Amino acid sequence: MIETIAASRCPRCDMVVAPPATYCPHHPVAMVPAELAGVGEVVTFTTLHTAPTGFKSPLHIAIVELEGGGRFVCHGADTRGLKIGATVAIEAIDDVYYFSHLGALERARLFWRRTGRAGDRVNAIARSLAKKVWKSRSVGTSA
Amino acid sequence: MTRVGRRSEPLPALMAEAALAALADAGVETPDAIVVATMNPEEFVGDGNFASHVATHMGFADVPALRIETATSSGAAAFYAGVAQVAAGLRRTVLVVGGEKMTHLPTPRVSEIIGRSIDPYERRYGATMPALAGLVTRALMTLGGVNAREIAQVAVKNHANGARNPFAHFQQPVSLEEVLDSRMVADPLRLMHCCPISDGAAAVVLNPERGAVRVAGIGHGADTLAVRHRRELTSFVATKAAAREAYAQAGFGPERIDVAELHDAFAPFELMSLEDLGLLPPGKAGRATLDGDTALDGRLPINPSGGLKARGHPLAATGLAQIVECVWQLTGRAAGRQVAGASCALAHSIGGLATNNWVTVLERA
Repeated sequence: MIETIAASRCPRCDMVVAPPATYCPHHPVAMVPAELAGVGEVVTFTTLHTAPTGFKSPLHIAIVELEGGGRFVCHGADTRGLKIGATVAIEAIDDVYYFSHLGALERARLFWRRTGRAGDRVNAIARSLAKKVWKSRSVGTSA
Repeated sequence: MTRVGRRSEPLPALMAEAALAALADAGVETPDAIVVATMNPEEFVGDGNFASHVATHMGFADVPALRIETATSSGAAAFYAGVAQVAAGLRRTVLVVGGEKMTHLPTPRVSEIIGRSIDPYERRYGATMPALAGLVTRALMTLGGVNAREIAQVAVKNHANGARNPFAHFQQPVSLEEVLDSRMVADPLRLMHCCPISDGAAAVVLNPERGAVRVAGIGHGADTLAVRHRRELTSFVATKAAAREAYAQAGFGPERIDVAELHDAFAPFELMSLEDLGLLPPGKAGRATLDGDTALDGRLPINPSGGLKARGHPLAATGLAQIVECVWQLTGRAAGRQVAGASCALAHSIGGLATNNWVTVLERA
């Protein structure tokens, strides 16, 4: 199962932004709601070694171009081996979006973070299995 | 302007020091109006209504003063507001003064306050200025073909210039190895790619009469607050727009510029800006920097003051400190770092993560 990300689209210039905005950044026009799949290409990424208050170092941050157009900021469990242009999946954990470049270890880490935080292990296991099926299908497409 | 660095004086005292020196230099006792630039005195020093605060402190309680803010480019924006008042004939003699006091606060708190200028959603993901600059630098190195030695050389060059500037925060040279070995801040951005946290103030006096230096053009460019809303990460749209406007007003282009002060808050920004401003062709800034073209004795000296990297970056003072350095270069007063025969200078200031940029072109009259 792939996460759905709420976005909005400008009826004038077709710009897509995520999360949704009231007005287009480039036009004084009300945006219309849109939904994007949580899959995309890494535009750029960094590892912050002096994270601000409320975050743990090292903090992995990426900008991902979602399929369908919008660019999205998210966290990651790791950036080792990650390259600009790589295909990643994005999932929400407690309302925070994480990218994962589909390695087994990272999957496990995100999985345990999810179960640890949410405490809903049954749900987590079910979702993880569903994603595993999707993952095995899409590994070959990562750049 | 004041010496930049770790200063013990309160902010109004620093701003008075810069302002009174500029007024004395211009032979003016009392200006007709004052434009004040401070980015966030409410949080840095706990005072608001800062235009009146500063004016009153320096004995100008009766002079109308207003405050201008465009994040880290506030000094350049205040200069624009001052020039606009004079050019419109609303005021004759205008004092423009900018300053910031930051070193008394712990670094994480300073980062947090500067970070207020970042898109709130991106901030929720821990984005600080170094983090956003790290994202830009990664794109620049991967897609823009810039390498680590080229970026490091910007810091080496600017420290070498700062060592010749008695007003600079850092007056010691650094080696390429020191920069390349400094600790990682926001991969691939290292500590010695980043400007320091500084206190300081700078001021200029404007009037409509023909003086030693004239304002040839001022351009203002804008871009989205959110970095994720941009298509282009290896150049700044706001710099390009500001440059177009400034050159159009001046009636000439980058070919006339003899010396420039660029906004190197992060070393790779100097390379991007060289190309965004048309001072060097696309893709050539890194190589030119390694070859010494932008050094003090090079073909096009960049940041003779030491830039934000070595002179320091007291936020709202910076845009004005750049203009002061340009004026000194054009009038032969940049002792120890003088660019011989400079007749045209450019100052470039970035506000936020390049959301509100300014380009000012100055010419020897």
